[in-house]
Amino acid sequence: MLSSRERERYKRQLLLFGDEGQEWLKKAHIFIAGAGGLGSPVSIYLAVAGVGTLTVVDKDVVDQTNLNRQILHYDRDIGRKKTESAEEKLRAYNPDIDIRVIDTTIDAENAGHLVGRADGIVDAMDNYPTRYLLNDIAHQKKIPLFHGAIRGFYGQVTTIIPEKTACLRCIFPCAPPSEVFPVVGATPGVIGTIQATEVLKYLLGTGDLLANRLLIWDGMAMHAEEIAVEKNPACPSCGKGSGSQNLPVPDTKRKHKTEKT
Amino acid sequence: MTIKVRFFARFRELLGTDIVVTAQEGTHLLGLVKKIAEKSREGYDAIFDAKGEFREFVIVMQNGRRVETATAGSTPVTDGDEIAVFPPVAGG
Repeated sequence: MLSSRERERYKRQLLLFGDEGQEWLKKAHIFIAGAGGLGSPVSIYLAVAGVGTLTVVDKDVVDQTNLNRQILHYDRDIGRKKTESAEEKLRAYNPDIDIRVIDTTIDAENAGHLVGRADGIVDAMDNYPTRYLLNDIAHQKKIPLFHGAIRGFYGQVTTIIPEKTACLRCIFPCAPPSEVFPVVGATPGVIGTIQATEVLKYLLGTGDLLANRLLIWDGMAMHAEEIAVEKNPACPSCGKGSGSQNLPVPDTKRKHKTEKT
Repeated sequence: MTIKVRFFARFRELLGTDIVVTAQEGTHLLGLVKKIAEKSREGYDAIFDAKGEFREFVIVMQNGRRVETATAGSTPVTDGDEIAVFPPVAGG
């Protein structure tokens, strides 16, 4: 049941999806990998929308060079753990939800445990090795991966639903070279907000997800393009004979609204 | 035959986009894109490696279907094809 305080807080979105939708959000747990450029808008918008539990993982401390885009962190946070800074801001945004932060590096050893019983994973990382790992975990747990990535004025975003859509490795079999990437804060603002919108739609079971669709954002040309993507039957992550097909799938996930039909 | 080549993101900046070219029968995808990219050294280097092959991370689509870039040298193009060439980004 929503409290009267919550009913007031979410009044304008209850007009969109009613008490039932808000309850779905309240019961949901979303894992956000990264509290940087993408993680900032994603976590802020999911917090203010009332997603009941957010787990935010990051290993870094706030650096002055982060501040042009990582809007969870303020000038006064320089030198502070990003998780600590994120927790403070997200609690201030919405004290009615549960914020969990984990100050660690996501690796093959801990990834499954960190994600736990979350209903979905938001990819707000800055490197492909960790993205591929999150992709594998999403497939093992059969939960969606909301992918986003940016560079400069450009971004890409897609929603990966295990067994239904192309996975990250189907779409990007090879990682682009790592670099100190140029970026202006508005770009992760656009892409992160799209990821947050996808999460909300998924949790509410409404709208058309970016499933098997890669949205390419070009802020320079101010143009968004969509590319159809498809599963690769030989994909080492999700194709026949891949490891993820043989791993046991824990039956821990709350039945999602989209799965009730 | 007429083929449309669309470059995205950084490739678009370097080479333009929606480039319509006339190609002869028997033209392959690799050669077609290479010929267009040659107008910009930087654009060419962004897409192709020293051996003249597509860099392994470059995404190439033919009429919305992904093409294995390793086989682009033997993938024929046909009249009306739309080719998309796209660099994935990594930042977060």
